[in-house]
Amino acid sequence: MTQMSDEVLNAVENSELKQIRDIDIDDVLDYVHRDLKRLPDYDQLYRRYLRQRWDVYELDFAQDVRDWNEGMSQEERDAFVAISAGFHHGERQVEVELPVFMLGGSEESKIYMSSQIEDEARHTVFFDRFYREVVKMPGSTVQEVLDSSFEHVSETFVGPFGLLAYQADDLRRDPEDLAARVRYGTTYFLWIEGVLALSVMKITLSYCRNRGFLPGYYTGFTATCRDEARHVQGGMRFLRDAVQDDPAMLTEIHDTLRTILSINGATSRRIALESLGWSPEEVRRLMIRQLRMKLVDVGIGLPPDIQAMVDRIEPELAGG
Amino acid sequence: MSPVTTETAVEFFGPEWAERARAAVDAGPDEELRATKLPTYWGWIDNVRATYDASWALGVTDLRDDGPVYLKLSWRDGTCHAAEIAGGDVDADYVLSGTLAVWRDLLGGDDPGRIVMYRRLRLQSGDVLRFFQGIYFFVESLAAVARVPAALP
Repeated sequence: MTQMSDEVLNAVENSELKQIRDIDIDDVLDYVHRDLKRLPDYDQLYRRYLRQRWDVYELDFAQDVRDWNEGMSQEERDAFVAISAGFHHGERQVEVELPVFMLGGSEESKIYMSSQIEDEARHTVFFDRFYREVVKMPGSTVQEVLDSSFEHVSETFVGPFGLLAYQADDLRRDPEDLAARVRYGTTYFLWIEGVLALSVMKITLSYCRNRGFLPGYYTGFTATCRDEARHVQGGMRFLRDAVQDDPAMLTEIHDTLRTILSINGATSRRIALESLGWSPEEVRRLMIRQLRMKLVDVGIGLPPDIQAMVDRIEPELAGG
Repeated sequence: MSPVTTETAVEFFGPEWAERARAAVDAGPDEELRATKLPTYWGWIDNVRATYDASWALGVTDLRDDGPVYLKLSWRDGTCHAAEIAGGDVDADYVLSGTLAVWRDLLGGDDPGRIVMYRRLRLQSGDVLRFFQGIYFFVESLAAVARVPAALP
């Protein structure tokens, strides 16, 4: 991670939606990790949310429509849809599964989590708009558009996102059960948001920036990535605090990672990543780096068997 | 993929349907179906299945007036060696259930992975993490059950 200058930090932190188009995705990813060592508390994250929230209906996709139809090749469009469909459904999934987590924890955590739920709902609308207005997926309701894009979602999507759904059900039985919260938080905040989401953001936003395509998508998804900074930092704070309060929670993180990493290798579809400027090996290395940065910065050590599983991570393209 | 078969439909959650379901999951997907997904996916499933030793109870909550009914499938060393129809006191490593409407959608060709993802089949009992260590094996087995022709009420 490069050191952020005050000027870049100020631009990432305080830009209005229209200005976000000029920000480099790498600077936003640096911003995600900048505060991981001294994690902000929930009050600070909530204050930041109030400053940074954006209006998804302000986005203008007119140029995106032209780029989609006239600038991008069919192979690029296919790869882009295949990758972003995992995000379209991922945002829906984290939106509907997060409220149960908000029922537990401190009052400050509950207030902050209410903002994250709103973020996730807004991100779902962002993808809904992109799929309707740019990709022209059929459907007159959010569910119908989700139904239309589902055929592009890999079979292996059910691994992490189905796991989250069933962990949410587990948590619903007792929202204050710390072990259940930690298992859920490892899947949601560490893996889905901290690894999968940030990797997909890097891939698709780098493509848009390098090719000069899809400015509406770039703006909305970069703003989404800035929101993810709060989510990842809040989530890592939760996991760090949980382990500090009860060291046995480290076992829950490890057990969850074992399951997540054991299901990671089942790739069911080939995506033409090369058309977006990436190789599978580059995506693999990106995911490993994303995971290690979170674990190291927050101080979560791994036993050798999980270290070996991390080394064998396979590219997985979804997020939320 | 919608079920395509020449078998005659038998009573849904009847003993013959249970035995056909067992045979279907034990046989696994045919070559035509395997060709629709990458070999790494099936390789992962084959690897999980090789040592699989758990039992699933797949239930429908509102098929009968006297309570839920389950299809219990038992695995030993990767072979589905037993199937039975059981009542609400079923004993299995993983107990999942959904309404008749969910089963209608499943047998009608809805994606079994999406049915899991939308939690339309609830995991009533069983360790979530251990269950998900075999999730794609389970989803493809659920798809195999759904391909068995059944006479729905």
